[in-house]
Amino acid sequence: MSEQKALQPDQKQEEHPSPPQVPPQQQDQQVKVTKQETNASEELQEMYRRLEKTRSVLHTAGDIEVGQTPHEILDETRTYKLFHYQQMVSKTAKTPILVVYALINKSYVLDLQPDKSWVRSLLSQGFDVYLLDWKAPTSADKYVSFDDYVNSDIDDCVDIVLKKNKVDKLTLHGYCMGASMSAMYTTLHQEKVRNLAVIAPVVDTEKDTTVIGNLAKNMDVGKMLDIIGNLPSEQLYACYSALKPFKQGVNKYFNLVQNIDNEQFVGNFLRIEKWLYDTPPIAGETFRQWIADIYQRNLLVKNELKLGDQIIDLTKITVPLLNIVADEDHLVSPQCSAPLNDMVSSIDRRLMRFHTGHVGLIASLYSQNNVLPKVGQWLKARSQ
Amino acid sequence: MAQNDTSKDTSSTVSADMMYNFWAEALKLPTIGPIYAFSKEFAAYANDYINLGKIMAELKTHNDSFWSLINAAYAKAITGTAGRAPKQLANKEDFENYRRAAIEAFEQAFTDLFASPEFSVVYGKVFSAQLDFSKVLQSISEKNFKILNMPTRSEIDDVLKDVHELRKSVRELKKEIEVLKSERTKSIAT
Repeated sequence: MSEQKALQPDQKQEEHPSPPQVPPQQQDQQVKVTKQETNASEELQEMYRRLEKTRSVLHTAGDIEVGQTPHEILDETRTYKLFHYQQMVSKTAKTPILVVYALINKSYVLDLQPDKSWVRSLLSQGFDVYLLDWKAPTSADKYVSFDDYVNSDIDDCVDIVLKKNKVDKLTLHGYCMGASMSAMYTTLHQEKVRNLAVIAPVVDTEKDTTVIGNLAKNMDVGKMLDIIGNLPSEQLYACYSALKPFKQGVNKYFNLVQNIDNEQFVGNFLRIEKWLYDTPPIAGETFRQWIADIYQRNLLVKNELKLGDQIIDLTKITVPLLNIVADEDHLVSPQCSAPLNDMVSSIDRRLMRFHTGHVGLIASLYSQNNVLPKVGQWLKARSQ
Repeated sequence: MAQNDTSKDTSSTVSADMMYNFWAEALKLPTIGPIYAFSKEFAAYANDYINLGKIMAELKTHNDSFWSLINAAYAKAITGTAGRAPKQLANKEDFENYRRAAIEAFEQAFTDLFASPEFSVVYGKVFSAQLDFSKVLQSISEKNFKILNMPTRSEIDDVLKDVHELRKSVRELKKEIEVLKSERTKSIAT
């Protein structure tokens, strides 16, 4: 103990030595090193601040507003809500548009934010727009099938829109799975459809090159229907996580941290993030048909898909067809969507390809500037 | 290597089958005589637990295959990163380039894996084994519900099927009534 005390003065000297005499060149180097250390420390502090802000921003992701274009709910049942959007300019197109959304995630991706809204763009081009928004199925809806969605729900909504607009035909406009359902509907109820405009429809699954198509090939969905019932959201997340797992799944968060002070960037990010994780389950029997009949047996393209006791024969479609596909689509590959144009009997048919992805096709500035003007032009020419 | 894995999988499945079949045979009790009721319940429960063990063994085999594919992709991604990334991490730019190289390498390795037919098969098997596992648990629970005189899941399932059919019929009837009504209105008008 006393030895230790005796050593203390020397130790203090060691801790605070008097500055040695150093040549000016070495002094410069020391200043450089100190500056670098200060910069590194500031950068670390800045990174910590950004991470902390990112964490708090992500916690509030669910609160961000989406689907803000004014609309009324025209009809509501256990399975759907039918939205009618307020006119933004005087109506110039006589034929109303019924947008049929997919059964995966929520329909507000078509009205994500004012400057990236598919619906708003159609309204501003003078169309009367309706949207079929699907509700999440409950466990009591296990046996709800495409037959119910197509022949009951879509048909009911079509009748409501026709009655409201006092017309006998409308434009059916589907996205993704909703596009496939719109095509199914048109084969069975063509007398009510003036135009069929589809975005990324799932048609020829044998040609599909996506990870989703690959995973679907060996799924025992009959067993799933029997044991679980509806497809749970978690199972869908598992599938999503296999799509561009690092470029989108990981890298997007790095980009968020880097751009956390850019309000516009953060707003765009959160809206898409909210949509990505807003995943309702899918009715069991519908999912069984989707995977077993459409993905595994490719019955839609073979014209052998059955809804109830009716066969879906795509060659029966004779109305004008617009097929919009994305070259970079990693959910429904263009090779899977494009064959629809070869299958239908329509004389007036058009395939539009755009250099973007599945969501970029409908909810991006690219879509507003490049896709929607062309789509609007095509529709307008056939909506009088 | 793949062939070895397949033969290993097959032999482990065969030996698991032999083991569980042995116990299934051993647990068979006479189904007549004084212990009839006991043997009936006991055998059913015992079979479920034997199945559960068998399915867990299968699930483990498929899970092993699944993780071996994931690990192989991970190793490929690490090698890919080492090949593309800067050799020294001296400044911020080097770290940034390292991140880019890692994202590229991991993306390629894992997308190749998820898009491969081999992964699809293994994923399907894991999914199926998980479902089998749930099915046996449901079967055990159903027996317990029967003891409590409560409706079982499969009984409720039948009701759901009926409700679904009924809804369809009601909708069709409503439509027919509407058509008849409008026809009647038309005929009155004329």
